[in-house]
Amino acid sequence: MITLLSETIAGLFIPPFRQKEFVHQLYFVANRSLLIIVFCVCFAAVVTILESSFHMKMVIQNDSMVPGFAALLILRELGALVTALLLSSRVGAGYASEVGSMQITEQVDALRMLGIDPVNYLVVPRFLACVVGGMILTVIANMACIFSAMIVSQSYLGYTPSMFLTSMHRFVQFKDIIFATIKGASFGGVIPLVACYFGFRCQQGAEGVGRATTNTVVVASIAIIVIDFILSYTFSYLY
Amino acid sequence: MSLKIREGEIIFILGTSGTGKSVLLKNLVGLLTPDEGEIWIDDEEVSKFSEEQYLPIRKKCGMVFQHPALFDSLTVFENVAFGLRRHYQLEEKVIREKVEKALRLVHLAGIENKRPGQISYGMQKRVSLARTVALEPRILLFDEPTTGLDPVTTTAVNQLILDLSRELKTTSLVVSHDMNCALSIADRIVVLDKGQIVAQGTPDELKRSEHPLVKDFLSEVLSA
Repeated sequence: MITLLSETIAGLFIPPFRQKEFVHQLYFVANRSLLIIVFCVCFAAVVTILESSFHMKMVIQNDSMVPGFAALLILRELGALVTALLLSSRVGAGYASEVGSMQITEQVDALRMLGIDPVNYLVVPRFLACVVGGMILTVIANMACIFSAMIVSQSYLGYTPSMFLTSMHRFVQFKDIIFATIKGASFGGVIPLVACYFGFRCQQGAEGVGRATTNTVVVASIAIIVIDFILSYTFSYLY
Repeated sequence: MSLKIREGEIIFILGTSGTGKSVLLKNLVGLLTPDEGEIWIDDEEVSKFSEEQYLPIRKKCGMVFQHPALFDSLTVFENVAFGLRRHYQLEEKVIREKVEKALRLVHLAGIENKRPGQISYGMQKRVSLARTVALEPRILLFDEPTTGLDPVTTTAVNQLILDLSRELKTTSLVVSHDMNCALSIADRIVVLDKGQIVAQGTPDELKRSEHPLVKDFLSEVLSA
């Protein structure tokens, strides 16, 4: 995996650069995942607001901090994490089965025979698209999540949008948005690396492709959660 | 095993499944790394070569895989032109001519704009052959080129291997189960069993072999 990561990073600077493929992959990663992600994070925001309110009322008999607290939770964790986990299922599984099928039908060997580095040809554009797509989707997911939280706060808790934004302003710093974007990029980068790693090692047959896909979703999800911990821990020193 | 292949020869490697025929081919071009031993191509010992060092070797070797191994996202034309674009700085007009010539060789002119999914398996195999031939390699490696093909296409592909080898003066190494075809077009036949050469010689010499595996292969031809 480390070899694949280093070859991919080196490949970012080695021509030929496949701009068209990058755009195609970015469309697949970002545009095709947008609706699912926005739909899911909106529901996650509703749950966050309702649960926070319920528990705050129970503990401190007051839910005035809910908007700010929820906005902070969304920006620091929820938006990036839910986006990445959804991407790992949709994009990771897709990439693993695509590369796995190419491996077992000898397309990867054919690339090597034609003098093309499979990492440069297959992994680099996907990696770049997922890093950029992960960043974009995280920003959009955060916006959708906060917007949804604002609506729920108004309709269920009675906080107007201006009250929500004032509370959010008190809790949230600009750094939170930057850190969320960094998380989005890092999670995005992990997904194609794990998917291509298992795709290249895919065994013959439908069972092999199935196993590569399952392993990708499981390992990418675990990796995302571990990286989330490492980044959150690191960022905590920067506040 | 020790095997020497002469320039311009058509050599068939026969054997039961899982005996190491495809592994042998893939070792020759560095798609797999041998556990031990030496592989000499021209005057170079290539078994310890890196991926970069293998590039010139792969440029002179063309390989037709067991699967058609066409790139699904590309058209037939783009598939055949793929290696030409990568290896040579050619004008688009020259690439077009070379692609059309290669497709004519495999009797598939006029399907340039189709995608692999839109043509039959037999046609895909022939496109794969055209992609290899378009690069005009000196050495052609065929990994079960007729597996999964109907008898008519099988005969056509076998004839094609013979024509290409004679016309382009290439050295051809064919991994196959098809003793009938081997007897009709091979200059030399090598029979493998459990990773070892158990018999080798010209088709006539093989017909006189007493080895049980060779006899089994021959009996199938005779019964057919």
